[in-house]
Amino acid sequence: MARDYTPDGRNISPPLSWSSVPAGTKELAVVCADFGAGAPPPWVHWVVYNIPATATGLPAELPIDPAASMPPAIKGATQGLNGWRRPIYRGPAPPVGTTHVYYFTVYALDADVDLKPNLTRAELLEAIDGHIIGRGELVPTYERRPGKTAP
Amino acid sequence: MKVISRRELLRTAGAVGAAAMATDAFPVAAPSTSQTTPPSGAAAAPREAYERLTATESDMLEAIVARLIPTDANGPGAIEARAAHYIDRALAGALADQLEAYRAGFAAFDRYCRLSRGKPFVDLSATDQDSVLIDVESGSATGSGAGFTGSSVAFFNMVKAHTWQGTFGDPYYGGNANFVGWDLIGYPGVRTMVTAADQQRLEKNELTPNHRSAYDFDGFNKATARAASHGDQHGD
Repeated sequence: MARDYTPDGRNISPPLSWSSVPAGTKELAVVCADFGAGAPPPWVHWVVYNIPATATGLPAELPIDPAASMPPAIKGATQGLNGWRRPIYRGPAPPVGTTHVYYFTVYALDADVDLKPNLTRAELLEAIDGHIIGRGELVPTYERRPGKTAP
Repeated sequence: MKVISRRELLRTAGAVGAAAMATDAFPVAAPSTSQTTPPSGAAAAPREAYERLTATESDMLEAIVARLIPTDANGPGAIEARAAHYIDRALAGALADQLEAYRAGFAAFDRYCRLSRGKPFVDLSATDQDSVLIDVESGSATGSGAGFTGSSVAFFNMVKAHTWQGTFGDPYYGGNANFVGWDLIGYPGVRTMVTAADQQRLEKNELTPNHRSAYDFDGFNKATARAASHGDQHGD
């Protein structure tokens, strides 16, 4: 994973794109989780839902200001609570010298499920249970190498 | 960073723009020349001296407090409350034992900004500044190579606590200038007596802030407070 999607860089949310969304999809959701972290795992880095079915992906750098609006292509999308209990993307910060694996999962839903604001991953999955008609996954890794001190 | 819930208040002055606290210091002359006036051109806004913090540290601190409690549509924030000056003054006095923690923390914070965002904190956009602060608060900055002592969380919590003190503490201690902080949270001020009419006005948001420090009241005089505590020693 590129540094700018992590706190070793700008820590902006990465762009995602998907295709072959099943017919009958009414909305989409995305979760990023690290199953090698958290007590218990997974440690959640990102939760996004109410994504329009017309979206072909997520643009990079979604807002970290809750008052800011989403880009027009994903109008109406909502960011849920990550593991730090913030409604934003926060990228990988694994222990120095280790490599972790990050599962970006997109869910296609067959209904406009009533999803309240600030849902956690667990709450989202419970709410969309029975409505998932398709799933896609992107699985990058990130190794945190000790940084050099600035001059 | 927690958004403070703010009540709508009647304000007589507009929000002072954070731009009034210019973060670009004018060039410092070489030691062999003295420079007592700003360079020719537009007059720079006068800046109040800091006692303990260097120019770089105070610029960074001002930029940090400006993001923690911003000046915005809700009104003045930590800058106008002089929270950074409160911290500086405290580091010369009551918080002197934390000066080294600040020095080390500022150095690590600066390194983290340069390593991760490629620029000093003061040169980042507000969004990137918020992003940095979130990473420092959460501890994600700790393993970045910036060299925070322990976790970056400790530095963030220290600065946040003192920013809150400097914004919402009694102005006697050097912050909460012009009662900016108390007005922000709708605290109507220290009162030794509250009448029923006061209480009713308060409940209708009509109680006018009295803008008085606790030490404007004889009963809260620092000398008498010290004398009272000496006569009432506790085991701890």
